[in-house]
Amino acid sequence: MQAYAAKLIDLIELKSGNIAKQWATDVMKHARTPSYSSLPLDRVIERGVEFYMLFRQMSLADNSYEAAKNFSSKYAKNCYREKIPLQEAVYALILLRRNLWLYAEFQGVFVSALEMHQAVESLNRTILMYDYVSYQVIEKYQELIHDAVDKKLGSITMMMNNPVVNIKSIYKSGLMGILLLVSCILTYYYHATLGTGVIFTHLFYIPIILASIWWGKKGIFVAVFLAVLILTSHALFLKAVPFLDDLIRSAMFVLTGGIVGWLMDGIKKIEDLYKTTIKI
Amino acid sequence: MLASLKLLDLMADKSESMAKQWAKEVVKNPKTPYYHSIDQDKIIPQAAEFYQKLSRVYTDKDPFTAVKAFMGKFAEARFKEKVPLHEALYAIILMRRHIWLYAEFQAIFISIIEQHQALDSQLRTILMFDYISYAFTEKYWELMNQESAGKNKK
Repeated sequence: MQAYAAKLIDLIELKSGNIAKQWATDVMKHARTPSYSSLPLDRVIERGVEFYMLFRQMSLADNSYEAAKNFSSKYAKNCYREKIPLQEAVYALILLRRNLWLYAEFQGVFVSALEMHQAVESLNRTILMYDYVSYQVIEKYQELIHDAVDKKLGSITMMMNNPVVNIKSIYKSGLMGILLLVSCILTYYYHATLGTGVIFTHLFYIPIILASIWWGKKGIFVAVFLAVLILTSHALFLKAVPFLDDLIRSAMFVLTGGIVGWLMDGIKKIEDLYKTTIKI
Repeated sequence: MLASLKLLDLMADKSESMAKQWAKEVVKNPKTPYYHSIDQDKIIPQAAEFYQKLSRVYTDKDPFTAVKAFMGKFAEARFKEKVPLHEALYAIILMRRHIWLYAEFQAIFISIIEQHQALDSQLRTILMFDYISYAFTEKYWELMNQESAGKNKK
């Protein structure tokens, strides 16, 4: 520990409660930290004492940056839980540092020329402490936001990371082509050869839903294609059977494709937003 | 405030040199990894401009409002570049350190009176950077929320 900082450290340790009270009064009525005004005074003071006790720990530690981590993490968690905006959390730290200095000045700790020199050195030390803590607090606060978003969007990200959703574009088109071809063959087989329209059209929901998942609202074109396919085929091969059933089926294809596509577009927007938040 | 004038002159006259020293550090500082892959020549102008503007707000009657105005634009630029907030703020901290390092290197505070001026200058600089930290974080946060709200509306 450097000798010049000893005087300030002793003062802080002895008077941490008083300095914290002074800070609490300041932060709870300061125009730039309005969120603190509704917190219980005791809790605010306790937080101040924790910060001032950190000063000795950081001064004694070989790696003062590492020594600050526990405090910073706790401070960020508390601020986040209490919904204190980040800029206010940062400004409260600034006020913690300022009040430390004001108290030392008020107590006349640094008077002589030599002490003035010590004052500069001590000041540098408090600033370094603030620099480290503010960096860690902002980093942790953002991490907490990302974690919260992660939790809320957990199921969505799990779905978006699913191999069926993440399949490469070229394979999507290829697979869709095959599914549509199979649909055409099935339609021809059932309508032209067997002369019936039962059951097989349920299989059409596979390409319809996949298309909407992959391409969003644009996927509705697959539903429209299949609707036109069964209606055309019905007109050509099932002239004796009433149209109503296939008309309802066609409408259901388009409706299902449209709804799934619309939902998927919404989910993609949320995913984009999530990715942007993570980057920042 | 007069004691700070020496530092102000230095900041205004040597903004480019200070910015160069800052750029050298920020591209290799472990707390600012975003800047590691960026060409120093690209970031020197932003730091030089920062020092120039900062030297003007020192003597302003309402420094907080002045700081808020110029830091708003600074935050917008860093946000567009997608610099993580904590790294952007640490880069600003490094800018502050380099003012002082440069002043020390140039030995502008030698005599006892100048030592006193040094303390005064340092306190003024810290006050300005307190405003800067607050204004920058506030604006950056606002931009993040705006972007979230904008994307939700789409």
